[in-house]
Amino acid sequence: MMRVDLAVVGAGPAGLAAAAEAVTHGMTVALIDDNARPGGQYFRHVPPSFRRTAATAFDKDRARAEALFAITRHPQVTYLPEATVWDVPEPLTLAVAAGPRSGQVEAGAIVVAAGAHDRPVPFPGWTLPGVVSAGGVQNLIKGFRLVPGTRAAVAGNGPLLFLIGASLLRAGVAVAAVVEAAPIDRRLPAALPQLLAAPEILQQALDYRWALLRAGVPVLTGWAPVNAEGEDAVRAVQAAPIAEDGSVDRARARSFDCDLLVVGFGLVPSVELLRLAGAGLRFDRRRGGWLPERDEALETTRRNIFAAGDGTGIGGVELALIEGRRAAVEAAVQLSRIAPFAADEIRAGLRRRWKRLDRFRRGIEALFAPPKDFLALQTPQTVLCRCEEVTRQEIEERRAEGFRGAVQLKSTTRMGMGRCQGRNCMATLAALVAADSGASESAVALPKARAPARPIPIGDLLHETIPPPDLPADPHLPRKRRT
Amino acid sequence: MTHRFDAGIDRGTAFTITVDDAAVRAFPGESVAAALLGDGRRAFRRTARTGAPRSLYCGMGVCWDCLVTIDGRSGLRACMTEAQPGMRVLTGRTGLEPEAGR
Amino acid sequence: MTSIPSRADAVIVGAGIAGLCTALPLAKAGRTVVVLDRGAAWGDASGANAGTLSLQVKRPEVLHVTRRAIELWQAMRAELGADVGFAKPGGLRVATSEKELGMLRGSMAVQASLGLETEWLEGNRLRDAAPWLGPSVRAATWCDWDALSSPLLAGRALLAAARRRGVTVQDQAEVTAIAALDRGYRVTTAAGTVDCAQLVIAAGAWTGKVAALLGVDLPVDADVNMLSVTEPAPPLLDKVVTHMGGVLSLKQYPNGTVMIGGGWQGRGSHQSMRRETDHLNLLHNMRVACAIVPALKDLRLVRSWAGFEGVASDALPLLGALPGRPGAFVNACARGGYSQGPALGEQMAELMLTGRTSLDVARFDPARFAAAGAHA
Ligand SMILES: Cc1cc2nc3c(=O)[nH]c(=O)nc-3n(C[C@H](O)[C@H](O)[C@H](O)COP(=O)(O)OP(=O)(O)OC[C@H]3O[C@@H](n4cnc5c(N)ncnc54)[C@H](O)[C@@H]3O)c2cc1C
Ligand SMILES: Cc1cc2nc3c(=O)[nH]c(=O)nc-3n(C[C@H](O)[C@H](O)[C@H](O)COP(=O)(O)OP(=O)(O)OC[C@H]3O[C@@H](n4cnc5c(N)ncnc54)[C@H](O)[C@@H]3O)c2cc1C
Ligand code: FES
Repeated sequence: MMRVDLAVVGAGPAGLAAAAEAVTHGMTVALIDDNARPGGQYFRHVPPSFRRTAATAFDKDRARAEALFAITRHPQVTYLPEATVWDVPEPLTLAVAAGPRSGQVEAGAIVVAAGAHDRPVPFPGWTLPGVVSAGGVQNLIKGFRLVPGTRAAVAGNGPLLFLIGASLLRAGVAVAAVVEAAPIDRRLPAALPQLLAAPEILQQALDYRWALLRAGVPVLTGWAPVNAEGEDAVRAVQAAPIAEDGSVDRARARSFDCDLLVVGFGLVPSVELLRLAGAGLRFDRRRGGWLPERDEALETTRRNIFAAGDGTGIGGVELALIEGRRAAVEAAVQLSRIAPFAADEIRAGLRRRWKRLDRFRRGIEALFAPPKDFLALQTPQTVLCRCEEVTRQEIEERRAEGFRGAVQLKSTTRMGMGRCQGRNCMATLAALVAADSGASESAVALPKARAPARPIPIGDLLHETIPPPDLPADPHLPRKRRT
Repeated sequence: MTHRFDAGIDRGTAFTITVDDAAVRAFPGESVAAALLGDGRRAFRRTARTGAPRSLYCGMGVCWDCLVTIDGRSGLRACMTEAQPGMRVLTGRTGLEPEAGR
Repeated sequence: MTSIPSRADAVIVGAGIAGLCTALPLAKAGRTVVVLDRGAAWGDASGANAGTLSLQVKRPEVLHVTRRAIELWQAMRAELGADVGFAKPGGLRVATSEKELGMLRGSMAVQASLGLETEWLEGNRLRDAAPWLGPSVRAATWCDWDALSSPLLAGRALLAAARRRGVTVQDQAEVTAIAALDRGYRVTTAAGTVDCAQLVIAAGAWTGKVAALLGVDLPVDADVNMLSVTEPAPPLLDKVVTHMGGVLSLKQYPNGTVMIGGGWQGRGSHQSMRRETDHLNLLHNMRVACAIVPALKDLRLVRSWAGFEGVASDALPLLGALPGRPGAFVNACARGGYSQGPALGEQMAELMLTGRTSLDVARFDPARFAAAGAHA
C-alpha cells in the first residue's frame, strides 16, 4: 500500500498538469497511467528509438510535451506507467494493476483525468479492416509516422475530422473525401462570435480546411457514411445526406474509393472510475454523453475526488491543461497545503482562460451539434456490438420477444458483455432503447458500474499482501460480510 | 497498402518478428500493430462467432479488436504491445478458437 | 405494455427460476397463471448466478431433488424448444488441506449411502484427469452428474416458453399488499390488482418480506454472493470445479469465458438493495482460483458483480404450504437454488395441483418455522 497526498489517474495533459501543480504546493503525488509513456492522447510522439533528423509539423508541441513530461521524474512524484486503476475499494483508495507492482494507493485527494475515447457509431461495414477511428489514425501518424492506407476517406462528426484530413495530406496520402454529418457551413455565421473567443484555435481549424480545399478534397457537410464496402478490407465508402432528425437519404448516396476509412464521431468521456467511486453523473450529449457532476472547484459529488480534462466533457488539450492545474490547486486547498489568498490568485488567472476556452468550446459544440441520433445508418445486418458480434436484427428479435430495457437486451444478446466492457456499444444500446421508448437517452437505465474498470490480468491480483480470509465453517449457512 | 513515411525521422535498424510463419520487419519502439500494418497486413484476426476479419480500430487500447496471440499468449492487444525481436505473433481466430466449444 | 389480468388461478410473486419453474407446469395443466416481478423478470439471483449445476456439493438433504433437477435441466432444451447452454462435463470437488481431505472422505461416504457414487482421485490419476489442476490440490472426488447451464440463455428460454404457454409475466409489478378473500387472495401491485385462488411466494431473498404481507414470519436472510468472469480464452479446463471448503466454483463456457465464483461475500444487503463487490474478497476469490487452476493467472478479469441469494436460517429450501394461510405457498431459498429450481418448481406445482408431491420434500415444509413464527 502506497500513501500519497494526491493520486492522479491519467498522465495526459490534464493529469500531467495536475501533478506539476501539486508538487509546487509540496504534495506527494502518484501519477498512474496505463500507457508505457506519458502524454495521454494528445502528446503522442515517435518512440525515443526513432532518431529525429529534422523538425517537422508533426513535432508540433514537442517542446511543450517534454517540459510537461519532466514532472514524471520529480522526486515528489511516483510515476506508474503501464498501470491500470481498476477499482475504488475505499472512498480515497485506488486499486492498481501493474504486474508485480500491483497494489493500492491511498490518497488525501484524487484527481481523475481519465480522458476520452472515440464514440463508436455503427453503420454497415464499420468492423472491416481499414475502417479506423480518428483517434487511432492520429496515434499512428503521431506515434509511428504510419498511415494504414494510401487513399483515405474521412467521415463522421466533429472538429477532429478536418485535423485528420489535413494530417493525412501532410503524410502524403490521397484524401478521397471528408464527410461531416453536421451542416457546419450553414451554421458557421451563428457560431462565429463564440469561436472568436479563441482566435488562435480557430485559425488552426481554418488552416486545416484551407489545406483540404487547396488539395481539391471534396468536403461534404450534412452527410454521413452509410456503408463501408469490401470483403476482407475496406474498398470504398458510400455517404449520403443526413438530416437533423437523423434520417438519411440513401437515394443520393455517393461512393468514394478508399483503402482507409477514418471514422470519428466525437469522443466519449471515460467515466467508469467515477461511476465506481459513486460520483454523480449528468447527461450532456453534445459534450460526449455521461459526465461527472462537478462544482466550481472541479470536485465531484464525492468529497476530495476531483475530475479534470476530457474525461469530464470534451474540451480539448488547452482546457485539459487548465483543469488539471485547477483541480490540483483545489486539492491543495482541501489538504491545507496552500494559503487561501495564494489559491485565489491562481484561480483567478485560470478562470479567465478557462472562460475564454469554454466559450470557444460552446461555439464548437453548436457548430458540430450532431443529428438526433445515428440509428438510421444501421441496417438489420449491422454489427452493433463488436466484441460479441450482436446485430441490429438480434436486438429487434429480442424486442419482439418482450425484452425492451437496456439491461434485458444486454443479458439476452450479450451486447456489452465482451472485453471492451460496453465501451463500443452501450451508447448505441441506450440510443436504441431511448428511440424505442420515446424517453431521452439520459433516462435509460444502464447496467451498474462494476470492477474492474478496465480488463486486468488476474495474475496481477496475486502480489499484494492482504489479511487472511474469514472462511465459513459451514459453507451452507449464511456467511459473514462487511457491509 | 500501408505507408510509413519518414518526415523528419530515422527509424533506426529494423529487426524481424514472426507472423504466422512469415518474417515481418519491425522498427525499435513500434507496436505490434504498427509492424503488422507496416507490413501491409489488413486483418489481424478472425472473430469467434462469424469468422469476420478484424484489425486495429481504436488504436488506443479500449476496443479490444486488434487481438493477436503473442508467444503463446492469446488475446493480447497489438496496439498496446511493443514489438520485440523474435516475437512470434499469430493472427487468425484469437480469443476464442471455435474448438473451445464443448 | 400489457396490463395484468384481474383474475388468475395462480399468482406467483417473483419471476426468477423458482417462480418460472412453478408457473410452467401449472400452465401446462391448464391453469391461468400471472407471475409478478418487482423489477425486470430474471433480474435478480437467477440472472446473476454462476450457472453451476453441481450435484456433489449439495447437502445430503437436497441430493434427491438436485438429481431430479439435473434430469430436468438435461431435458429442458427439448421441453422448451430453446438452448439453455446445458452441458454435463462432470465435476471435480477438490480438497487442498488435511482437514478438507477428511471432510471430502466423509461427504463421499454419506453420498454413497444415499445412492450417489463419486470417484476418489489423487496422484497421477487426478493429474491425468485434470492436468490443469495446480499442485495445491491434494485430491478430488469426481461426479459425472455435475453440469452447467447458461443463466442468460435459460432466462430467455424460460420467459419465452412461459409467455408462449399463456403465462402473464409482468415486470415492474412490486407486490405491496396481499389481502385474504373468502377463497383465495387479492394481490396489490405497482401495476394493478389481481385476485387468485392460489398464491406462491417465490421472491428469493425477499421472501420474508412478502410473507410478512400475509402476517407470517419466515427467518430469511440473504448472502451477497460475488462472481467474476474472464475474457474468452482457448480451452483451459474441461470440467466443473468445486471446492470442499465451499470457497470456489469454476468452469469454462463454450464461448471461452471462465466463470469464477465460490460464495465470496460482497457488500450491501437485500434490505437496502445495495450490492457491491468487496475488493478484498475479490482478491481472495482470485487467489483461491489461481491456486487451484494456475493457468487462470494469464487470463484477464473482465467483469465482477454481486447478487442476493436468499437463505433460510437452517439453509434448507422453503417449499410447501404457508401454515394457516390456505391456498398460499412458498418456493424459495434453496441453497444453490438455480441447480434445484426445475425440480422444486415441479414439486411445488404438483402440490398445488394434487396436494401431493412425487419426491419427499417434507423437510422443506415452511411449517418448521411457523410454530415459533406465525402470528395468526
Ligand atoms: C485517440 C485520440 C487521439 C486524439 N488526437 C488528438 C489530436 O491529434 N489533436 C488534438 O488536438 N486532440 C486530439 N485528441 C483530443 C485530445 O487528445 C484531448 O483533448 C486531450 O488529450 C485531453 O487530455 P486529457 O488529459 O483530458 O485526457 P487523455 O489525453 O485522454 O489522457 C487520459 C489518460 O488517462 C489514462 N487512463 C484512463 N483511465 C485509466 C485507468 N483506469 N487507469 C490508468 N490510466 C487510465 C489514459 O490511458 C490516458 O493516457 C485525441 C483524442 C483521442 C481519444
Ligand atoms: C452471484 C450468485 C451466484 C450463484 N451461483 C449459483 C450456482 O452456480 N448454482 C446454483 O445452483 N445457484 C447459484 N446461486 C443461487 C441461485 O442463483 C439462487 O438460489 C436462485 O437463482 C434463486 O432463484 P429465485 O427464483 O428463488 O430468486 P430470484 O431469482 O432472486 O427471484 C426472485 C424474484 O422475486 C422478485 N421479488 C422480490 N420481492 C418482490 C415483490 N414484493 N413483488 C414482486 N416481485 C418481487 C425479485 O425482483 C426477483 O426477481 C447463485 C446466487 C448468486 C447471487
Ligand atoms: S485497436 Fe482498439 S484495442 Fe487495439
